[in-house]
Amino acid sequence: MNIIETKNLTKTYGDFTAVSHLNLHIRKGSVYGFLGPNGAGKSTTMKMFLGLTRPTEGSFRIDGKAYPSDRVSILKEVGSFIEAPAFYGNLTGEENLEIIRQILGLPKSSVRDALELVGLSQFRKRLAKKYSLGMKQRLGLAGALIGRPPILILDEPTNGLDPVGIHEIRTLIKSLPQQFDCTVLVSSHLLSEVELMADDIGILNHGRLLFEGTMEDLRAGAHEAGFPTDNLEDTFLAMIDEDNRKRGGKR
Amino acid sequence: MTLRLEMTKLKRTGYLPAFLGGAVLASAFPLINMLVRPETFTSMPGDPFDILMDANWQMMAMLNILVSICGACMMYHAEYADNGAQKMDVLPIHPGSIFLGKSVIAGLILAMMTAMEILVLTGCALHWFTAYEPDAAELLENLLKNILFQWTAALPTVVLMLAIASACKNMWVSLGVGVILVFTIFIFPQDNPVLSLFPFSSPYQTLATAAENDRVLLFLGVCAAEVPAFIVLELIYQKIRRCTE
Repeated sequence: MNIIETKNLTKTYGDFTAVSHLNLHIRKGSVYGFLGPNGAGKSTTMKMFLGLTRPTEGSFRIDGKAYPSDRVSILKEVGSFIEAPAFYGNLTGEENLEIIRQILGLPKSSVRDALELVGLSQFRKRLAKKYSLGMKQRLGLAGALIGRPPILILDEPTNGLDPVGIHEIRTLIKSLPQQFDCTVLVSSHLLSEVELMADDIGILNHGRLLFEGTMEDLRAGAHEAGFPTDNLEDTFLAMIDEDNRKRGGKR
Repeated sequence: MTLRLEMTKLKRTGYLPAFLGGAVLASAFPLINMLVRPETFTSMPGDPFDILMDANWQMMAMLNILVSICGACMMYHAEYADNGAQKMDVLPIHPGSIFLGKSVIAGLILAMMTAMEILVLTGCALHWFTAYEPDAAELLENLLKNILFQWTAALPTVVLMLAIASACKNMWVSLGVGVILVFTIFIFPQDNPVLSLFPFSSPYQTLATAAENDRVLLFLGVCAAEVPAFIVLELIYQKIRRCTE
């Protein structure tokens, strides 16, 4: 069963098409890796899911609910982290999560749980603006994970983290469907990273979906198309190059 | 809940100290005036409270407006500085409720400022004008009427300034727009009855002057209508911004 589905989802800005007729199918309880080079339309798609930007064409359903009529209802079920950590710098990490907790109507213990989950417990009383980049990233993740929402939308969540942090967050994301029975949509421009945590992947280039399926499907498809399959990073790059070549460098 | 959240967001922004400082400064103005040149005012004919309002309110109102402009900029700077506003956009709350919450807080703080200033003016009248001995009921009525009138007259300015601040992610832009608007009204004729009803101009009107021209109800009515009009405009703006982003 698909928890997120899009139908010809399109977003244009003037004569620039950021997302073009996108048809995504994200299975419930899976980690879906959303892959593509910078500017492929990953963040724009995620922003549409969260109501931050309105689709120009097409539609999507999240857990059977449609935007914009069910916007608030969708947001109640979705924990998100988009582009950069978003917080109030004048408040402590704990106070930032307390605001989210009150809006979501969660029990008080959820703030402590979220801080523990991302390893920020000992820095909870520190002002968020004084956090390091990695700590801000973790605070953003805590804001998405608080209350254990059934759907998580994470846009490049490991940006700015050191290798140890990347490993921790990756392990955490991978464990989320089992631990909290949730579905995760995670974007990245690194296949090597997505490969380690995703069950399904979708590859986006210039707003168009080039591939959707499991890692095995990708390998099989790449083999058939004559792309290198030894290294998935090379497969991904070959697919993007091929698509760019077909398009003649046009956006 | 929204009010509590909005109050939490103002922690460590300097918002409350700024308003307290503004109120103290504005209240100090008539006190200093009376301490330095009491005879100038006590020798004037007419109601002592009205004399003091005429002599001091222009400066006090300007301070109130300037503090309100700074307050609106502080409120939205906290939202935009570290993308807090973006986080609010992806949480299940109505986007308009944040603006309404901020408007209520700004309105309440303005009410406290106005009350403090009118109290100080009344205190000055009682202290320096020896012949001024109103009975308690009359004094209370006068106090409440003036606080309500001056608060209502200034409220549209506060709400409009919040709407301006919400539209500008850069605090310095909204601050600049606010300051320009404060000084723009001086370009226009001060006695124009229509212009005096506009935000940034209406806070300078006093109850005594409005009563003299039989315009008290008109002022209260127009200002009371401007507030919901600006709130509706802000909600429409938020909808348009969401569609165009």
